[in-house]
Amino acid sequence: MVLHGGRIAAAASSNVLFTRTRFLGLSPANTNNFTSTSRCFSLSVPISKLSDGDGGEKGKRGGKIGAKKQNKEAKKEDVPSPKEAVDLVAEGSGSKQVSLSLDDVNPVGLGRRSRQIFDQVWKKFSGLGQLSTTSTDEDLLDSVLIRGPMCEFTIPEAQDTTVLVVGATSRIGRILVRKLMLRGYKVKALVRKADSEVIDMLPRSVNIVLGDVGEPSTLKTAIEGCNKIIYCATARSLITADLYRVDYRGVYNVTKAFQAYGWEVRQGTYFQDVLAAKYDGGMDAKLEFIETGEAVFSGYVFTRGGYVELSKRLSLPLGSTLDRYDGLLLSIGGNGRSFIVILESGPLADTSQSKLYFARMSTKVGFCRVRIPFSSFRPVKPDDPPLDPFLVHTFTIRFEPRRQRPPEGPTGMTQDPRSFKLILEYIKALPTGRETDFILVSCTGSGIESSRKDQVLKAKKAGEDSLRRSGLGYTIIRPGPLQEEPGGQRALIFDQGNRISQGISCADVADICVKALHDSTARNKSFDVCYEYVAEEGNELYELVAHLPDKANNYLTPALAVLEKNT
Amino acid sequence: MASSLSYLPPQPTVTRPLHRCYSQFSTLPSWRMLISAQDLTFPYQTLISSSPLPPGRFRLPLQVKCNAQTLVSSDISQGTPVRPTNVLVVGATGTLGRQIVRKALDEGYDVRCLVRPRPAPADFLRDWGAIVVNGDLSKPETIPATLVGVHTIIDCATGRPEEPIRKVDWEGKVALIQCAKAMGIQKYVFYSIHNCDKHPEVPLMEIKYFTEKFLQDSGLNHIIIRLCGFMQGLIGQYAVPILEEKSVWGTDAPTRIAYMDTQDIARLTLIAMRNEKVDQKLLTFAGPRAWTTQEVITLCERLAGQDANVTTVPVSVLKLTRQLTRLFQWTNDVADRLAFSEVLSSDIVFSAPMNDTYSLIGVDSKDIITLEKYLQDYFTNILKKLKDLKAQSKQTDIYF
Repeated sequence: MVLHGGRIAAAASSNVLFTRTRFLGLSPANTNNFTSTSRCFSLSVPISKLSDGDGGEKGKRGGKIGAKKQNKEAKKEDVPSPKEAVDLVAEGSGSKQVSLSLDDVNPVGLGRRSRQIFDQVWKKFSGLGQLSTTSTDEDLLDSVLIRGPMCEFTIPEAQDTTVLVVGATSRIGRILVRKLMLRGYKVKALVRKADSEVIDMLPRSVNIVLGDVGEPSTLKTAIEGCNKIIYCATARSLITADLYRVDYRGVYNVTKAFQAYGWEVRQGTYFQDVLAAKYDGGMDAKLEFIETGEAVFSGYVFTRGGYVELSKRLSLPLGSTLDRYDGLLLSIGGNGRSFIVILESGPLADTSQSKLYFARMSTKVGFCRVRIPFSSFRPVKPDDPPLDPFLVHTFTIRFEPRRQRPPEGPTGMTQDPRSFKLILEYIKALPTGRETDFILVSCTGSGIESSRKDQVLKAKKAGEDSLRRSGLGYTIIRPGPLQEEPGGQRALIFDQGNRISQGISCADVADICVKALHDSTARNKSFDVCYEYVAEEGNELYELVAHLPDKANNYLTPALAVLEKNT
Repeated sequence: MASSLSYLPPQPTVTRPLHRCYSQFSTLPSWRMLISAQDLTFPYQTLISSSPLPPGRFRLPLQVKCNAQTLVSSDISQGTPVRPTNVLVVGATGTLGRQIVRKALDEGYDVRCLVRPRPAPADFLRDWGAIVVNGDLSKPETIPATLVGVHTIIDCATGRPEEPIRKVDWEGKVALIQCAKAMGIQKYVFYSIHNCDKHPEVPLMEIKYFTEKFLQDSGLNHIIIRLCGFMQGLIGQYAVPILEEKSVWGTDAPTRIAYMDTQDIARLTLIAMRNEKVDQKLLTFAGPRAWTTQEVITLCERLAGQDANVTTVPVSVLKLTRQLTRLFQWTNDVADRLAFSEVLSSDIVFSAPMNDTYSLIGVDSKDIITLEKYLQDYFTNILKKLKDLKAQSKQTDIYF
């Protein structure tokens, strides 16, 4: 071994001329010299491969690695070890009989190949004498180290997910877009003007879409291809109309567009016709189908304490049961009355054992969509176990005049509380998603001047409500006043009670958005978040959930797990 | 910019043998030659001390005095305040630099990257959302424009192996520090090498040491971080050749080097940057455990599940090569690159205790990834990837 080493050293020192690209002029003249040295190389080593053998070995490697190597420069030509030198000269008695091509004896070719080998060897050799080497095998390393699983940013689900960021030019939006790009998501950004300032602000591979959340028609192209939406846009001014447009209608438009695009309603159940209508004590009610195919359930209850019910046995398509769903979505037009939805569940064969579960739903004047998650159904008899959607067989809507709350309608309309009219457009079952689809960044209002605070909060709340009612999986984040600090340094508090007062940095909010994209505990939750407030002694008013940032930084799941859903 | 600059030696005055050569003044130290050819306005004095020399050797000690106090008044109170989230990363395309860029972007900084103009620029930086500006440390006139509006500079640049290091690592850094001082940069993070003060015979370490001194004298608010070794480098040097069944070259040196993951270094740097207690300090980041090359190779073999084709080169050979290459002017750079072999031949542990550092910046030592875990992750992922490739390509001649 030492002998070889010595030879290498000798070869190195005398041939160092050739690796210096500055001295190109010298190399052709000394090719002869070099060839002789390469001869002395080959004499001392067993000859087992030809240059073709190298190619063969490349083929053996196969796959991408081989292709990559071939694409690269000669530097990474496959040289197994200095022992197996290329036998360039036919004189050596080789153990393999191979044919020589003209290339092999061509001195330029010889010189080039020898130089390549030498570069290889020299690179390895000099690499020993360095503290840290810069790697040239960028592709393979990159794919594993930088963009691949070794990178601490990579999320496996990110490759298939396209995220639409509404409000990409806002403070949070910019950081959010960068974070998404770092993790490998495909990002579409909705902007109002695609001028150079905006384009500079966003990373290059972001797909910029022109549109305005106030114009639903422009949203269609934006939504195309997206799986998730992060809405961090807010009105740039405090004018009520602006607030209304961005914070309320904007959210509504985007949710509608998203649902129209791709939210598949799987296996909805529809009311085809009425099978049974129960009456109780003197009322006049009927269910009829009007021309548009909707069912109208209207009537008038004469007696106090009576109620009208409309019930149907569910005939679900074969193989599907309601337990795969999260709740019901009804698109109805009531006139401000509140109704009760009752589900009867129990073994199909024995109806006498069925248990009743009810949930109250209130309607507005005009059409609305009401989502009733299964979790909000309460048993009629308090001792019964909670609703098991798997066993539900009958669906009932009941109207009770006794329990009416005053209708929320335009004032001045006096209606007889005992009459009702319910137009049913459809009843669908809400698919259970594990992940959230729509992340809305709202605000707590604590940083806004009080004169406009009410308006802002009202608009934000309206936006939040429209999102909750839409049926999408949602996450509503309400951060404290935003600060321009780097994120990841302070502990965060997650709360659901409108009690927070501290600020939070934009980067932390962006981080929460990103983490919530694939977190099942974030689905259908709304919460406030701010920095941890170190309270003075005796002043601790609240117990909140705080988590210090650590390396893995998976703080979101435990923090959200304790919060209530569907709030 | 700086009007009067001369070099001050670190106290006490030491003379360092810069270049051992067998002839007299005909081959002056190339460092001096480069400096004299430059336009940087600092007068310097070379004194040749008459310290007793061992016979047969001629030493040309270069006593340089460096005074980094600039006379430019740094009155920037009239300017617009710079947001503390504006960071300039020099050397952003390097192994460490790109991790710094990523982590800073993730934490919400506005990152600006200084890259050299290239016909095919590295686009991944722009894809991540950093702003890329063109500049070159060897051309100091390109630097000031890039520093406008910057609050912090993170300097992880060094010369590439094929370039002469003195141009970038010394003159370029000096220019950058002077420019930063003149433009009122509020923090300068500099990466150096561990034990750089103890190995003056290694040119890169000597330059790093002098740069540290220069930075400390300049009056900038700085943090100096000394590093030991990168785990990423081991991948290319050992793991990949083992997987591809190529020969792996290692020395038999007993030196143990502590390797650290560059992602961890980036994270710790950003934490340290925000911590006021760390200002003006010199930190050392060393990995959890120090390894020799033989141990690393054994670990890679174990994890890859196959034996490596190891070529062990004795350190004496490295040293011999280095001596030979120093004979010639044109191979001086090569000699410099091999200079670390001097360090390797002395039996040292290239590591440092980290407990104080961790407690100073508030980090848990369990968060720092170890080499075993790192290589294990790498091999698991790469083998999985190769298996996927094999499945995709339906080729049966990929052997593991």
